[in-house]
Amino acid sequence: MKFTLLLFGLAQLLKIASHLNKAFKHAVRKAQVRILITTRDRERARLFTFDRGKVSSCGGFHNDYDAALVFKNAGIGFKVLTSSKADASFNAAADGGLCIRGMSFYAKWFQDVTQLIR
Amino acid sequence: MAEIFGGHIAAKYMKEVEGVDTVFTLSGGHIENLLDGFNQYGVRLVDVRHEQAAAMMAHGWSIYKNKPGVCLVTAGPGFTNAVSGIANAFLDAAPLVVLCGRHPLRDDNTLALQEINQIDMVKPITKWQATCYDIARIPEYLATAFRQAVTGRPGPVFLELPPDILFVSMDEKNLVFPEKRTHRTRVLPHESELKAAAHLIDNAKKPLFIGGSGVGFSNQDDAFKQFIEKIGFPFALLNNGRGALPDSHALCMNDGGFTAVAAVAPQADVIIAAGIRFSWVMQATKLFPQAKVIRIDIDPAELDNMRTSQVGLAGDCGDIFERLTPLVKKADHSPWIETVKNAYQAMLVTETEQKNTVSDPILPLRLTQQIMTEIGTDAYYISDGGDTSYYGMTGFMSDHRAGVLAPAGSLLGCLGTGIPFAMAAKLANPGKPVILLHGDGSFGMNCMEFDTMVRHNIPVVCVINNDCAWGMIKHSQEMSIGHDRCTCSELELRHYEKIVEELGGYGEFVKKDDDIIPAIKRAVDSGKPACINVITDPTVVSPATAMFYQNLSDF
Ligand SMILES: Cc1ncc(C[n+]2csc(CCOP(=O)(O)OP(=O)(O)O)c2C)c(N)n1
Repeated sequence: MKFTLLLFGLAQLLKIASHLNKAFKHAVRKAQVRILITTRDRERARLFTFDRGKVSSCGGFHNDYDAALVFKNAGIGFKVLTSSKADASFNAAADGGLCIRGMSFYAKWFQDVTQLIR
Repeated sequence: MAEIFGGHIAAKYMKEVEGVDTVFTLSGGHIENLLDGFNQYGVRLVDVRHEQAAAMMAHGWSIYKNKPGVCLVTAGPGFTNAVSGIANAFLDAAPLVVLCGRHPLRDDNTLALQEINQIDMVKPITKWQATCYDIARIPEYLATAFRQAVTGRPGPVFLELPPDILFVSMDEKNLVFPEKRTHRTRVLPHESELKAAAHLIDNAKKPLFIGGSGVGFSNQDDAFKQFIEKIGFPFALLNNGRGALPDSHALCMNDGGFTAVAAVAPQADVIIAAGIRFSWVMQATKLFPQAKVIRIDIDPAELDNMRTSQVGLAGDCGDIFERLTPLVKKADHSPWIETVKNAYQAMLVTETEQKNTVSDPILPLRLTQQIMTEIGTDAYYISDGGDTSYYGMTGFMSDHRAGVLAPAGSLLGCLGTGIPFAMAAKLANPGKPVILLHGDGSFGMNCMEFDTMVRHNIPVVCVINNDCAWGMIKHSQEMSIGHDRCTCSELELRHYEKIVEELGGYGEFVKKDDDIIPAIKRAVDSGKPACINVITDPTVVSPATAMFYQNLSDF
């Protein structure tokens, strides 16, 4: 539940940032990227769509992503996404808690732009 | 009194003093006497169908043989055709010796045939350039050219030889060849800096070693092996440094391609960057802002370029490894290496699945995997194209130095380099399979060189990753201007394999996954230069395109 709420909250923050945060607006203004964040069992998931400056999101699992951050479970997902440590994702990937599907380049891009709203 | 022609003097000098055994060329009236000289002194001439290929082959040769590659082109259009190859070698810091014809000195400013100011044109893309005016000084000029090509950071040199000196003769007994010396004098770092580097290395917790072409050109693979195995750093070898140790080495991260470097570099506390310049690909300031960096470069001015280094060591990579090895402690970073490998593998799940799954339409990475399954690591791999260069770089593994190259991925980003490089690889390693993965667009740039392959018996196997498009450009246009507005980036289905068959080679057309391996087998068994035209999924996009697009979209 915490994880699902976190994804929902993140979606709201990204949407607000796409209107108000100058650096974020600049970073996403040309991007057409779909990022899925999901648990491995696909039970908890949300798709974030960046479309030339607009950010939208949609709950649930979707197949049409450019990159997916697939967490082993919701607990790990919550911990990694709320961690202030720069190496949280890397360590989760190393420990088997996270894998990237699709193009990891876009996952890295997503991490970089979400840093702008921290 | 025995007379000798200028062209013969040049050939004799290169054969006897510089040990040149192969020259890449395309004929022309202005260079006739030099061509004849090469014949006279038993230098193999590989005559190509476009001068660009001659320059690119000589560039490739310099990497595979670790010595200067020589090309000879005629005045005017021969020169201008070679310019892309020279520029490519310049940005790639490759020791290319370009010998070039010239309109006669006698005819300067008379609108002579092929009269054009070549020297001024070539200045920005060569380390050294000159015109020889005196037959007796030909050996001296050549000696300087060969020395300049390899001294310090290697690079292309350019020597104009006009007919006024090539076509005349002199008494052979007055001919003096400069002695070829190997000096032991070296650029070396100060002892205190070596110690500072050793201190950083010994205290590293999350280290990373990134080596570039400087590691390759240094040609001291043993020194590198001893050093890296003592410090135990995971390493990635990029550009022409790839293969200084095999891709299968336990510390090597090349199976993760640039994804591995991009994932690990931001986490590293100490990075050794040896023989590699911090270009746009390395994004040194963005990718690893926190790491302490030890920079090793033959050029002292490079040490703080683009990013200040904590320790800068000027000198040849191998010499520096040799000096550092006794100063560092033996270390074991196994837990970190396991972390690193697990992390980047977790980021490559989709690529790994694509490689190992039968695909319809065929996916490019599946294609590379099938090629690897059939050919293995005891081979030389080259790729050319946009996305295709990426697939080759990540899909292929080799046991050999420079065993996996994507020359179009170097700084000039010059398509068309694949065929000349593959020919050079095969000539340099006739006993090994040489496989070239080519984009269909870039294949068109030098495909007439299959004629050269047939005439000179250079049985390269070229596999076309045919997406009927200039894929990288088409996909980045889809991202920028939209799917419905793609411009000049679509191609059509063409039977390129038939061109190769017509030229005397072997050709096959493949659409099904199951047919890839049998086709490769037949191509290798044919013993001929071969082209397997494989239709692949036109919708897949490589990370190289995403990176390329991002780089140009930030305006
Ligand atoms: C000589 C040259 N001309 C044009 C370009 C611009 N360019 C970069 S990638 C690319 C598309 C390459 O298409 P292809 O060879 O089919 O490979 P793919 O990207 O489809 O794998 C082009 C035209 C270039 N890099 N070099």
